[in-house]
Amino acid sequence: MSFHVDAWDPSYGASLDASAPGPSDGLDVEVELPAEQWRPLDAPAGLAPPATVLMVDGVRRIDARIWTAGIGGTPPSPGLACSYAAGVVRCAAGNASVAAATVERSIFTSAADQSDVDAGSTVRYKAVRIEGAQDADLMAAMQTALMQLEQRTTTDVLATLAGGDELIVVDGPLRGPGAPPRVIGYAKTQQKQYLPDHLLPVVGALSPGQRTPVFRIGGRWSRYTWYLRQPGGIPIPWSGVVRLECSAELTRAQAIELAELSTVTLPRYASSAVKDPRAPQQLVPIGGLEQRLRRMLGDTKLLQRALAAASVRQ
Amino acid sequence: MSFPAHAGTPGSPVGRVLGTQDASPLTFWVAVGSDAYLQLDDVVVTQRDLPDRGTVTISGVVTAVRARHEGAAFESDVFAIADGMLPAMVQEAAEITVTRVEPEIYVPPAPGAVAYRAHGETRDAALSFDRMQRRLPIGIGRDGAPLFLNADFLDGSRGAHCSISGISGVATKTSFATFLLYSIFTSGVLGSKAESANTKALIFNVKGEDLLFLDHENNRLDEPTREAYHKLGLEAGAFKQVTVFAPARAGDPSGSPDVASRLTGVDPFYWTLSEFAEQRLLPYVFADADDERQQYTMVVHAVAAHLAREAQPAGGGLSIDGTRLGSYEDFVDYVVEQLNDDETRSTWAGSSVGLGTVNAFARRLISSKRDLARLIRGDLPGGRAHQISTADAGQVTVVDLHNLPDRAQRFVVGVTLKTEFERKEKAGTAKPLLFVVLDELNKYAPRDGTSPIKEVLLDIAERGRSLGVILIGAQQTASEVERRIVSNSAIRVVGRLDPAEASRPEYGFLPPTQRQRALLAKPGTMFVAQPEIPVPLAVEFPFPAWATRPSEAGAAPRATLASMVSATDPFAVVGSTRDGAIPDDEIPF
Repeated sequence: MSFHVDAWDPSYGASLDASAPGPSDGLDVEVELPAEQWRPLDAPAGLAPPATVLMVDGVRRIDARIWTAGIGGTPPSPGLACSYAAGVVRCAAGNASVAAATVERSIFTSAADQSDVDAGSTVRYKAVRIEGAQDADLMAAMQTALMQLEQRTTTDVLATLAGGDELIVVDGPLRGPGAPPRVIGYAKTQQKQYLPDHLLPVVGALSPGQRTPVFRIGGRWSRYTWYLRQPGGIPIPWSGVVRLECSAELTRAQAIELAELSTVTLPRYASSAVKDPRAPQQLVPIGGLEQRLRRMLGDTKLLQRALAAASVRQ
Repeated sequence: MSFPAHAGTPGSPVGRVLGTQDASPLTFWVAVGSDAYLQLDDVVVTQRDLPDRGTVTISGVVTAVRARHEGAAFESDVFAIADGMLPAMVQEAAEITVTRVEPEIYVPPAPGAVAYRAHGETRDAALSFDRMQRRLPIGIGRDGAPLFLNADFLDGSRGAHCSISGISGVATKTSFATFLLYSIFTSGVLGSKAESANTKALIFNVKGEDLLFLDHENNRLDEPTREAYHKLGLEAGAFKQVTVFAPARAGDPSGSPDVASRLTGVDPFYWTLSEFAEQRLLPYVFADADDERQQYTMVVHAVAAHLAREAQPAGGGLSIDGTRLGSYEDFVDYVVEQLNDDETRSTWAGSSVGLGTVNAFARRLISSKRDLARLIRGDLPGGRAHQISTADAGQVTVVDLHNLPDRAQRFVVGVTLKTEFERKEKAGTAKPLLFVVLDELNKYAPRDGTSPIKEVLLDIAERGRSLGVILIGAQQTASEVERRIVSNSAIRVVGRLDPAEASRPEYGFLPPTQRQRALLAKPGTMFVAQPEIPVPLAVEFPFPAWATRPSEAGAAPRATLASMVSATDPFAVVGSTRDGAIPDDEIPF
């Protein structure tokens, strides 16, 4: 028996979630190569990475759990006071800078009469009502709000671009259909099995910097996807493997082109295990962006105190 | 970065007061905006509105600057950042040491308050220049604007004396001392024209013939240097009215000055044996006496007293008990002989002195023959001008010591300072002032032991302020100079320092960063501490407009072209220096 210690910090969950097989409807493994020819693919020689890579990410935090008093004897309603931020980092030769970063604060609650909370200086929590919500619904609402903020921020940054050869990497899977053509999703953890069992060994055989052929998956919406092995993992199968996806509205050729581009671009940004608990899957610029965004969320103790003070005032 | 632009701001915005470091009324940090910069010595102003008390303006000088990557956790992140992989911000911060709080309400500046780079009047106010009634220009600051010294602290009104420290060669101590003199004489801070003209300076030249050309224009003087002088409100030029004294050539019966490069306008100096006896200069022969507790100093004073009593002038020489002594060697041999003679010993040295003590005295006296014979002469007439005196000399008196042995240098410095100090004492008024520039102060006034010169220098340091004698002392190591002299100096100047020296407590007036900077100060850069400004100012003084070595000397000024012989008054009566008490038989006709 052999075993290995996952390079990931356990608090982030496992990098491979070996759970039940996922939906196989709409699966097409022959987008790039016939199934019997599947093999690890190297980056094409001579292909240059794009001059500019944009990476999108968001962070969220629950600042406080609140209870809004019920009216007329009804029990109090739960709520979450959250801060979340989304940003875009622009990596060009010799300079990585944060191109956009936005912070929002909201209170997700099921209470009907919760008003916005002014927590002093410039901090203001917007009340968002979710009818009859329980804890899990509130968490989901926060996640949705963050995703929307990420999309807005990305759209804002995309609007400023001249439409060159930038590659836009979104941290996590794509949020829905209709992603712009040069946007790829970057899934760090493999929670579902998308490939049929007989093709899985191809993923295990990937060397650092290699990818699988492009295939298409279905589910709630369909998209092209491929696996890539980032360098810097431990030398066992599936270590450092990420899954990338792009919109299924692209042509097959466009999807393959994006896959090749990702193979020459992304290994460079893989993080090192000594610096990041999610190495090598976590991308270095995204790590820096997350750090910046977390700072922008503000000091949690200060916000808690401000909220407590505001609760007394109201 | 954007700043609120409201009218009446004290300068151009450069950043904001940091909140992650403690801000105090005496020091605070400023985060520098991404489109601005601050360098050491820049003057920064910030303001704070107080309820009921109006606006407090806090001004200071940058004493440290640093830059760092924010958002980088590991040292190797710098490569990722430079490669464009990791977003990080370069953030600069500057430490401000407060120089002035106006009005004097000592509150810390508010973190986040805008910090301004001070210009013009704001800068002058920050450095207290607006409070100085008489501003003496001392050089240009790092910001390109002139810096001043409060003349009240140099001329004795509120303080006096200046101590300049720095290692030899690169610290430019002498150049700064001469620049200071030039500024004093020509800037008009001393008041009326007559006052400026009557003020004198006495400079001892100990290194080469460097200072013998102060009245020659520097042939390397160029237009930018002239501009620098203009900026300070000065006119570039050489010193006017310089009198140069050089020791008489050894063995030369005409007593011509012993100089190599400067041939005209040099007066010789020497002492005749009769002056030596009459003015009781013998103690200065033992000026290196490292300890007053040595027994033989008793003999020194006894012999000096006996000489003053018994010796009669005979030509330039001396006559004691009918023996004529025509040279210093003769004199020494005679005294030693008298001391060795059992019959005469007690009349010379006193009765209670042991033979060993007498021998110690004799040994030292004999060894002085080689060094002092050329200065104490019996073969030269006393009638001609041969004594160093600033009273009859030009504005600047340069005494050349460079080719004298150490013992002779001490003798000349000691006797000259004593004479000048006594003259000022007799005059009774402080004005006109006399500035004394003395290098190697650690040699003349060492921390340990006593000597006649040290006594004179201590006298100057402690009483000179009221008598109008201002000491501009220079030394490599202030730590080796008598503490009372250094502590009496109102103005302290530091050039490049030796690393070990810089850590000594004598330089406690330098903040840590300036101490470090003093280790790499360029020639021409000095740190000047004055009582009114809590931070020493980094000063760049302009290149000397006068020659500082023979090769730089331009054309000689007209006044010095007169022959050196003209200094001799052919009609002076020999021996007329003796207070009118002229013995009849000394009149040569």
